[in-house]
Amino acid sequence: MKSAIKWILGAAVLAAASVPFWPARSAYDGDAAQARLAGDRDALVKRGKYLATVADCAACHQSPDGAPYAGGVPIVTPFGTIYGTNITPDNEHGIGNYSPADFYHAVADGVRPDGKRLYPAMPYASYHAIRPEDSDAIYAYLMTQQPVARENPALGLSFPFNQRWTLAYWNLVNGKIALPDAAPPEALEGAYLTDVLGHCQECHTPRNALGGLDLGRAYQGGVLGDLTAPDLTPAALTARGWTAEDLRVFLKTGMAPQGTMTLEMYPVLLHSSQYMSDADIAAIQTHLTGGDLAPVAKPAVVAMDAAQRSSGRDAYLSVCAGCHGVNGEGKPHVAPAMTTNTTAMLADPRNLIHVITHGLPEQKLANGEVMQSMPGFDGVLTNQQLADLVNYTRTEWGGQPASVSVADVN
Amino acid sequence: MTIVTREISLNINGKAVGPIAVPEDLPMVEFLHEYVGLTGSRFGCGQGLCRACTVIVDEPDGTSREMRSCITGAQYFDGRAIRTVEGHASVDADGALKLTPVQEAFLDHFSFQCSYCAPGFVNAATVLVERLQREPIARDQVEAVVEDALNDHICRCTGYVRYYSAVRDVVLNTPGLVK
Repeated sequence: MKSAIKWILGAAVLAAASVPFWPARSAYDGDAAQARLAGDRDALVKRGKYLATVADCAACHQSPDGAPYAGGVPIVTPFGTIYGTNITPDNEHGIGNYSPADFYHAVADGVRPDGKRLYPAMPYASYHAIRPEDSDAIYAYLMTQQPVARENPALGLSFPFNQRWTLAYWNLVNGKIALPDAAPPEALEGAYLTDVLGHCQECHTPRNALGGLDLGRAYQGGVLGDLTAPDLTPAALTARGWTAEDLRVFLKTGMAPQGTMTLEMYPVLLHSSQYMSDADIAAIQTHLTGGDLAPVAKPAVVAMDAAQRSSGRDAYLSVCAGCHGVNGEGKPHVAPAMTTNTTAMLADPRNLIHVITHGLPEQKLANGEVMQSMPGFDGVLTNQQLADLVNYTRTEWGGQPASVSVADVN
Repeated sequence: MTIVTREISLNINGKAVGPIAVPEDLPMVEFLHEYVGLTGSRFGCGQGLCRACTVIVDEPDGTSREMRSCITGAQYFDGRAIRTVEGHASVDADGALKLTPVQEAFLDHFSFQCSYCAPGFVNAATVLVERLQREPIARDQVEAVVEDALNDHICRCTGYVRYYSAVRDVVLNTPGLVK
């Protein structure tokens, strides 16, 4: 009996130890890929360029100095800093030596040609369901780009997170996004554009303790350091006053009555959503909202301690009203309205606190629209005034309680 | 309709002003123009972009910083000390006008043209000089630091070269600003 237990335990240990050696690559038909790549190359490259835009490859892979796809964008995670890599066709530092299959497995499975695993900051949990023909098109497009001989920055991860083989276990316990088996073509396209190529869940779906997507709570809002990626479920969007039309206009132009695309969403507008076709934007909106959203009344003013409200309003009139208007009405081409502002309406105050304390750079939106830079008020107001201001904004326009303390803004 | 007011007291160019009751949403630039007769700070774009309305805020810790008076409410300045463009030059015992080195340099370089942006440039350059007195910079950083300090200020006559060269001169020729 004892030996049987030993054998079972031994087998379990061996099985567990063998996980990094299990096959990590999905099925991929190399012959079909060759046939596609041998076809109308110009059309394929053109489609690949559009798909790379929808998938927003540039957000992480365009160098901070502007070099297209040459990498080096820092991505700060709770486990350390990693960098978007060089995906130009440079043979040494980029993907010049990748085959179409190598490219597909990197994108869909998070596995490099040498068998090492990519970190899930590369959203392969979302891209997993990418259509092989779309992967090939993006591959064909990237191969037409200027090769840039720029080394990838060293990983800013400490042990054990710098051990790529450990990701085999991570992949074992964390799910990947799958498309519905049976769905009308339009619904499938919406899911594909939003969940797979757009990889929207990577920020807007909560994550578990290991950093994996909590797929059972899709679009219920995620946390990114001191920022929050808002809840995009239909009920939450409705509560914040979004309509289907607002959402489409927001994705296309970067601006809606709810505010402008800022912070982590700004690169989405900059490289991706403003260039999407109207049909694709409508498909994304339909996937998120399931149709139109019922208009709701603006949230009622929430009660707040009179002295703190007076302090918050004085702070607002002192440093905010000049651009956002005395009554929060906003100024065209300068600053968005506060009266319909989605950030004020979030239960989680961290985006509001972040913007008020740190400010925002100037934002160039679609169609030549520019919104002015916003100064940060850390040091310009006292922490008590900042807390009162955040609470005033939440209660006056957001329908949220005055729950922010001085410690929260510190 | 009642106008809600706030009572403010502040120090402007070394002189105590107030208490004065002002509308709670009164912009500072209007307070300077209409309540205390200091019309040197210019109302340009009215949206915080051109910086012609810039004033200097003097902090209790001895540091100074710029603030745009067209987008900042007068009540923000309650209890604070500020300097406007009128507060730089002084008159000595013989009644002779004495300009600051920044003002002298702008005149030497013929920096002022229509002069609309002058208050903002004088204040920005002064804040820079005061910062460098506390935190000197290396000689090879002067050009970049001057550009960074003046970058937000718009000159509608496009006289940037003369403004920038004047401030570089002040920084390089004032002892203690450059390491």
